[in-house]
Amino acid sequence: MSISNLLENWSKFRHTHPVDDKPHDPYKWAMSIDLDACSGCNACSVACYAENNLPVVGKEKYAHGQVMHWMRIEHYWDEDVGEEGGREFPDQGAQFLPMMCQQCEAAPCETVCPVGATNHTEDGLNSQIYNRCIGSRYCSANCPYKVRYFNWFNYPTTDNVWPAEMVQQLNPDVTVRGKGVMEKCTFCVQRLRAAEVTAKSEGRLVHDGEVQTACQQACPTSAISFGNLVDQESRVHRQWRAQQVELDKDKQAKDDHEEPSELRGYRILENMRPYPSVMYLERVRESAI
Amino acid sequence: MHRFLRITVLLTGLFAAFSIYAAESQQSVPMTEDSLGPLVEQPIEFPHNRHAGDADKGGMQINCMYCHTYARRSAVAGIPPLQKCIGCHQSIESVRETPRIKKLFEYWEAKKAVPWKKVHDLPDFVRFNHERHIKRFIEQQNRPFQEVCGYCHGNVKEMTVARRSKGLTMGWCASCHQKDHTVVAEGGTPIGTQAYWYTFYKPEVEDASAGVLKAKGPNDCWRCHK
Repeated sequence: MSISNLLENWSKFRHTHPVDDKPHDPYKWAMSIDLDACSGCNACSVACYAENNLPVVGKEKYAHGQVMHWMRIEHYWDEDVGEEGGREFPDQGAQFLPMMCQQCEAAPCETVCPVGATNHTEDGLNSQIYNRCIGSRYCSANCPYKVRYFNWFNYPTTDNVWPAEMVQQLNPDVTVRGKGVMEKCTFCVQRLRAAEVTAKSEGRLVHDGEVQTACQQACPTSAISFGNLVDQESRVHRQWRAQQVELDKDKQAKDDHEEPSELRGYRILENMRPYPSVMYLERVRESAI
Repeated sequence: MHRFLRITVLLTGLFAAFSIYAAESQQSVPMTEDSLGPLVEQPIEFPHNRHAGDADKGGMQINCMYCHTYARRSAVAGIPPLQKCIGCHQSIESVRETPRIKKLFEYWEAKKAVPWKKVHDLPDFVRFNHERHIKRFIEQQNRPFQEVCGYCHGNVKEMTVARRSKGLTMGWCASCHQKDHTVVAEGGTPIGTQAYWYTFYKPEVEDASAGVLKAKGPNDCWRCHK
């Protein structure tokens, strides 16, 4: 996009509301995660490691907070943990929440990147361009979900990250990132692009269920559903609609009533107005694990 | 003090003038002799001109996609398997004893693939799809295939071993993606998303063939970067 183009068509590029004034067409990739179905098995996380060439950093670097899990399972406990009253290590009452990049429509990370390495795409993804990134880590500091991960080391040359025979396992559709680059969940953009190309060549739009993310594919309880939010018939659209969660709202209409809503759908940190693309379905069963 | 100011103003002016000049002048891509890319040593010096060249120059005018057959249906154009070379050459007796063909048959008899080297090698962080470009320009706009392949690969039909004659930089890609290309040229077929939109905004037939409907290439980082 040249400067002259930007100046001439300023009104076209200017947004007054990140979602409302310029609806997505024909794609808006979104997800919904049923926490009631999630058993915290970590299969999604493992699938993500395999799909996206994530380095296995080892115990020591993990302890330093340098782990690279794009998809992480957060643990919450029913009982008090710690010094005040609770036990040190509870043996039951765990609740799980898979957390990855929420692909915000008004992403806080995008506005602060000094080199424009993270941008918004037409189909509502929050892109991360590795070869443009200079590693200022400002995006990570500004991310409310803390889902951006920084390459502190050159993992391809680090011992035991990918042992020699494991190099064959790397996904050729995903860059192997070098040192000094920020990375995050991409909603498996390589799969989306492949499906879009096939659909485009066949003169149609991507069908619902044609493209799956790696985490969705691996989930044993089908807690994760993924699809095109613009498509009225897609599973993810029907879930969002059933839960009365709208993409372009910072406070859903159902939450305005005095009586708490029976609906389970919510988005994390919605009131901060990042307009995230992932809806979670609240847990209803008691923790059994 | 005044002298200091004068020098500062002069230097600023010179710098500004140079910047404007530098911004306007075409940035040339460093190339070796006769503006061809670096020479890649191949196991067999494959004569593209003999196979794909024009008939009056002794070429056989074979379609690029007869050998690079995956270009029209996948992201990569592909190197033909040795079987494809042999398929024709076992029945071409006239060149059977030439050194290059002898070498070819040596590989065939040893049951080994020819270790061709990559000439047009894009960085690992770039995703380029041959299929989309073939569909867009050959099938949709009905342009000749050698012209379309030549947008990125240069005039291969006059080369022996293929050489990289285009820049293949991001700015070079974007210079084409920023252009308004006609959606359907005369004799072309709307396909893909264009066909989808065509059903809604179907222009008059004269307009369509005159190239009124235009579209740019994708302009979004994640289309090409991975």
